[in-house]
Amino acid sequence: MPTLSLRAAVVAVLAALPALAAAQGSVQGVVTDASSGATLPGVTVFVEASNIGTTTNADGAYELSLPPGQRTLTFSFVGYLTQEVEVPAGQTRLDVALEEDLLGLDEVVVTGLGTTVRRANLANSVETISARELAEVTTPQTLDGALNGKVTGAVVNANSGAPGGGINIRLRGITTINGNSQPLYVVDGVIISNDAVANGINAVSRAAAGGNASNQDNPVSRVADLAPEDIESLEVLKGPSAAAIYGARAANGVVVIRTKRGQAGRTDVRFGQTLGFTRIARTLGTRQFTEASAIDQFTTPPDDDATPEEIAQFNESVERIRGLYRSGEAAGFYDYEDALFGNTGLMATSNLSISGGNETTKFFASGIVKDDEGIVEGTGYEKQSGRLNLTHRLSRMFELDANANYVRSVARRGITGNDNSGTTFGVGLVATPNFVDLFPDANGTYPDNPFNSANFLQTRDLASISETNNRVFGSGRLTVNLLTSATQSLQLIGVGGVDYYALDQASLFPVELQFEPDDGLAGTSILGRTTNLNTNVQALLVHGYAPADRDLQFTTQVGFTAFDQDFNNVSSVAQGLIPNQQNLDQASALQTGQARLFQNDRAFFAQEEVNYRSAIIGTIGVRAERSSANGDVDTYYAYPKAGLALNLTNLGLFDSEFVDLVKLRAAFGQTGNTAPFGAKFTTFGTLAVGGNIGLNIGGQRGFADVSPERASEIEGGIDLTLFDGSVNLELTGYSKTVDDLLLTRQVPPSSGFALETFNGGQLRNNGVEVGLSLIPVDGPMVRWISRTSFWANDAEVTELTVPAFQAAGGGFGSTLGSIRIEEGKSPTQIVGIDDGEVVALGDVAPDFQMSFFNDVQIARRLRVTLFGHWKKGGDVINLTELLSDLSGTSPDFDADADGDGTPDGPQRVSQLGVSARPFVQDASYFRLREVGLYYDVAPRFFGPLAGGLQSLRVGVSATNLFTITPYKSYDPEVSNFGSQPVASGVEVTPFPSSRNVLFHVNLGL
Amino acid sequence: MPTIFRTVAALAVLGLLAGCDLVGLDDEPNPNGPSLEDILDNPTEANLANLAIGVEASARLGLGTYLVDVGVLGREYWRVSPSDPRFTQDLLGGAESVLDNNTFYITTPWGARYRTVRNANTLLSALEGNETLSDGEKAATRGFARTWIAYQYLLNLNLTFENGVRFIEPGADAAGPLVGYDEALDRIAALFDQADGDFGAAGSADFFFPTTLGVGGDVEGYRQINRALAARVDAYREDWDGVLDALDGSFIDADGDLEAGAYHQFSTGAGDINNPFFFPLDGGGDGVLAHPSFVADIAPGDDRISKVAERTSARTFDGLTSNYDTDVYESPTSPIPVVTNGELVLLRAEANAQRTDDDAVDDINVIRNAAGLDDYEGDTDTGALIDEVLRQRRYQLFAEGHRWIDLRRYGRLGTLPIDRPNDNVFDRFPVPEADASDA
Repeated sequence: MPTLSLRAAVVAVLAALPALAAAQGSVQGVVTDASSGATLPGVTVFVEASNIGTTTNADGAYELSLPPGQRTLTFSFVGYLTQEVEVPAGQTRLDVALEEDLLGLDEVVVTGLGTTVRRANLANSVETISARELAEVTTPQTLDGALNGKVTGAVVNANSGAPGGGINIRLRGITTINGNSQPLYVVDGVIISNDAVANGINAVSRAAAGGNASNQDNPVSRVADLAPEDIESLEVLKGPSAAAIYGARAANGVVVIRTKRGQAGRTDVRFGQTLGFTRIARTLGTRQFTEASAIDQFTTPPDDDATPEEIAQFNESVERIRGLYRSGEAAGFYDYEDALFGNTGLMATSNLSISGGNETTKFFASGIVKDDEGIVEGTGYEKQSGRLNLTHRLSRMFELDANANYVRSVARRGITGNDNSGTTFGVGLVATPNFVDLFPDANGTYPDNPFNSANFLQTRDLASISETNNRVFGSGRLTVNLLTSATQSLQLIGVGGVDYYALDQASLFPVELQFEPDDGLAGTSILGRTTNLNTNVQALLVHGYAPADRDLQFTTQVGFTAFDQDFNNVSSVAQGLIPNQQNLDQASALQTGQARLFQNDRAFFAQEEVNYRSAIIGTIGVRAERSSANGDVDTYYAYPKAGLALNLTNLGLFDSEFVDLVKLRAAFGQTGNTAPFGAKFTTFGTLAVGGNIGLNIGGQRGFADVSPERASEIEGGIDLTLFDGSVNLELTGYSKTVDDLLLTRQVPPSSGFALETFNGGQLRNNGVEVGLSLIPVDGPMVRWISRTSFWANDAEVTELTVPAFQAAGGGFGSTLGSIRIEEGKSPTQIVGIDDGEVVALGDVAPDFQMSFFNDVQIARRLRVTLFGHWKKGGDVINLTELLSDLSGTSPDFDADADGDGTPDGPQRVSQLGVSARPFVQDASYFRLREVGLYYDVAPRFFGPLAGGLQSLRVGVSATNLFTITPYKSYDPEVSNFGSQPVASGVEVTPFPSSRNVLFHVNLGL
Repeated sequence: MPTIFRTVAALAVLGLLAGCDLVGLDDEPNPNGPSLEDILDNPTEANLANLAIGVEASARLGLGTYLVDVGVLGREYWRVSPSDPRFTQDLLGGAESVLDNNTFYITTPWGARYRTVRNANTLLSALEGNETLSDGEKAATRGFARTWIAYQYLLNLNLTFENGVRFIEPGADAAGPLVGYDEALDRIAALFDQADGDFGAAGSADFFFPTTLGVGGDVEGYRQINRALAARVDAYREDWDGVLDALDGSFIDADGDLEAGAYHQFSTGAGDINNPFFFPLDGGGDGVLAHPSFVADIAPGDDRISKVAERTSARTFDGLTSNYDTDVYESPTSPIPVVTNGELVLLRAEANAQRTDDDAVDDINVIRNAAGLDDYEGDTDTGALIDEVLRQRRYQLFAEGHRWIDLRRYGRLGTLPIDRPNDNVFDRFPVPEADASDA
């Protein structure tokens, strides 16, 4: 098989030049879908072992001339199995019915920057997620959330249940300790930003004021802006062996996204409307106090030698609690969990897409409007997105693609998670007993919460916290077919793209809030503005060469890429506000900070693919890259790769009627992770005194020689396809080693500095991935497609040149359990005190994960899809329970599970400072992530719409329908510190996750 | 196909033209602030002025923690925090705990002081490369920098006592070995003297940058601050003649305002910081409770009772109960003293008492009268006078970071109250882990 790009070039040429196809007798026909009988436009038809080919027109028809002696045609089309058919001698008509490629056996996969390869020829395990799996079972709120559980080999973790995303994705284990840990996202050939920008709410929560300076603002990753509905397919290059050609930003894998394009033919109009609701997925409840337990919990009896004054004070506080309790009892107590998290949020998404075109111009246009409410009143997520993708063939030589996408998203995520000020919803909730009244009176005045510095109902109702992003993606690709002959082709491909966003983060905490006067400056307004511009330019030459016998085919590509980033964040905190005002100039105190980031990356790359009869496929390549973030900006760091696939079936070694494909594959590759911006600089900060600005040396000493981290991976595997394509098994093993880790070491403070980033140490990940796809039933009444995946990863810090340390965002020290980086141990191990020693208490990384995807189609009209996800093992540090216990409000505070006579609450509290074991809890789960039930209404029921309507589908879907877990809080998927390089799985009163039920109507016009 | 070749040629040219911009990359300096090299390579007056301002500005960092450390160990007050038990456990030796060498109460102030030393040393290094300032201006600037460096070492030595401090030279990457208490005090005194010589060499030159300490608005004022601090060091060294000599060059004025002196300034202005020791009164969260002994031991009629504020109800936290909040810093912009006239008068009283000079009583009475108390009528032997000086220092310099050090240098830490059965009074902090051993 030639590579697709080579073919595409040839198709382009030949389709434009029908006159060439004259001499040798011709064949014509119509290509249809085997199951529905519908005609298929755009199918590629080739004369085998030649460069002669065409595509079917809008009616599915083709016409082709046959060279002498060659009568075998191949028919290929996205989503269908490729067919080879011999034209019987003398016959001039050949109609073909293509079978759907239900298991994705025949899809093409990106392997270079300009080339693709059929899955059957791949040397790597590459995950492909189709539009159907991504966004058509249910309507995901954000793209990153839609990936959860769907990528074999990935650990995807929602940091909280707050609307608008905030997902941590790690492919094949841990790849960095202090560097960027998220995959590279490439959309239509352009690197897009996945920044996570803190909204500065720490000015109120003071979460980072204690021992842990890490960001706890619960930021979203900006990839969430991209609309899942616009995505045609998404490929995940999981490790360096597949991603090497992406170089120094690809150590964490690459997510290659292709957006939808139009097809020649009838203009296709689709409208989808989703309406649904969201509810909290799991409630915890709260302790039911009695008068005695309330007094016992909230007063402290005086000592034996107490003064009469102290005794009087005690009696006074007892009466105060008694009074509060009795009025609460009279009011029937209060369910604050329900008051705070019990909102039923409405969710609505409308999606209109129009696509079509002719042989020269094709278009895809879409408009999406989403408005989702959250389970906390006032929270929610909105998105408006408009996209236009155009493809135009200027001539047989030039083809142009242009894509433009505008997105506006608004996330209102509230204030949750850890704090040191009592201001977050969750901390306030666990601090509040169920007998105190926090509801506003008839005048709308909220009572002060006597048990916490904030009345969370007041904060929820009066504070406003929002993040609005306006973003434009634009990309263009020019393909120039420089040369096409019977044996050679040469293409020049130029790609350019921009990704610009302007993010406004505005939070207002008005003067009326209970906690606001505490700092002497009532009222806080936090305004952040971030702009980021990513620009990409890529130029490459692709050369295809197939000697006359066509046993061997060579595809060569060489090219150059340039990537620039310009990030600018300005964040201001105004305090001491004029009542009812938000503007920064309406405040008595104002602090402003600015952070900028420039990065230029430049790379050259070359890749050679050799294909011998689709039986032996070898690839070698190298990318050489330099970056302005490195200490030495002129050094090119080289990232090589090599891969070999042996198709034993095509070699003729397996000639069994049950075996369609047996393939052995092995690949090696290296990628990098650029040094964090600024690591090479010793920089002064500013500090003013007396109205004059001074320079103050930064705490970080620059490391002038800082270089990228280097990840090396070797993977191998077997692919089997059996029983006429109804069983497909993919087995993969890999070993990934990361050298020159970017580590931060403490420097002696007497130097005037605190920290220094340097390269050293080594990490290793070993893992296995198994994918089994089956079509257990395939008949006219029932078609059942099933895919089961299993994956496990084992990571170890094999070398650490600094003393063991707590990972960034790895908790709050060993008293409470902490994720510690230590040589010879798993990088995600949890250590904590126990009997006076610090010992290993668990590990955040799961033992293994499995996912179960089942799709059953009944009578071609009813479709049921179930997607389950099982994570076995993996621990979470549950500090929500601790905080509830310390406030005496945990639901099982008075229970006595172990029957030892000590109630559970006091028993757990007594462990604080003695053992961290109670906080480290098993976070295994089985979760029914997505369920979809859709019905295609038969045209005869269209009634009055029959004239205009092509199709009508109605459905219902649900996410998080149920979760089975031993974990004792809202959700075993949680991370107080957001997407950290290593740490996740620390829980402090998060935004609970929700269960969504959605109703769908999809119209085709 | 000639058109194709023309196209290729055109694209190649375009590619090359574009390549001029695209292939290269910008090796830009950090956009978020000047780099150390930038300043050393461009020692303009403006850059040097910013460095000098940064020295005064950064000398305030970590000061809140410093005042907590010495005040809590000296049982002047308790720092209570619902979110951090270490203030009321570690610092008081609660439940027989010990001071940790990798915890904020030592690492924060220690690191902050050395950061200011780095700033001042950078100023000294950069100053050498400047060609526009006069010799006098350079000398004045050296005096300024060295005064600050000496003062920073002193504050760290106050914390670590016999555990010592490290000294670092301008331009050096790393500091020298740990130097014990007595030798370190001698070196600090020598640094103050060297700075005094620098100020002398400045002649009539003035600072080319603004200063904010109050008294030290000009070179002469700064020199007086230098002598005032030198007098303090001499008292710590028990060099009583040295104290009197140094005080002669200071701003001591027995007839003047005792609160006059050098102060760190704070504001809510952009880029500035608030007073880190400001806490709301009568609160239930983070706060600073006055130690009950302050009120119990105060003389009737002593106006300095105003340094504490009675709470509406007593607060009990972690087994500690007080009816009073510390009320020395009243707002987020209250200044924190470096050295005041009141301290200088008491230093002179102390030195004279040690030299058995009767003038001591006059100075003691200046302090007593200012607080609304009658003249001193006790014994006038050295022991009694020192008792009285320490008593007046306790109330005059409350919450300014002195009592623990004063009791330590007179071996009287054992007289401090033990508030809970297993509490301890420490006499020193450990050197932070990262500086503890010589690499």
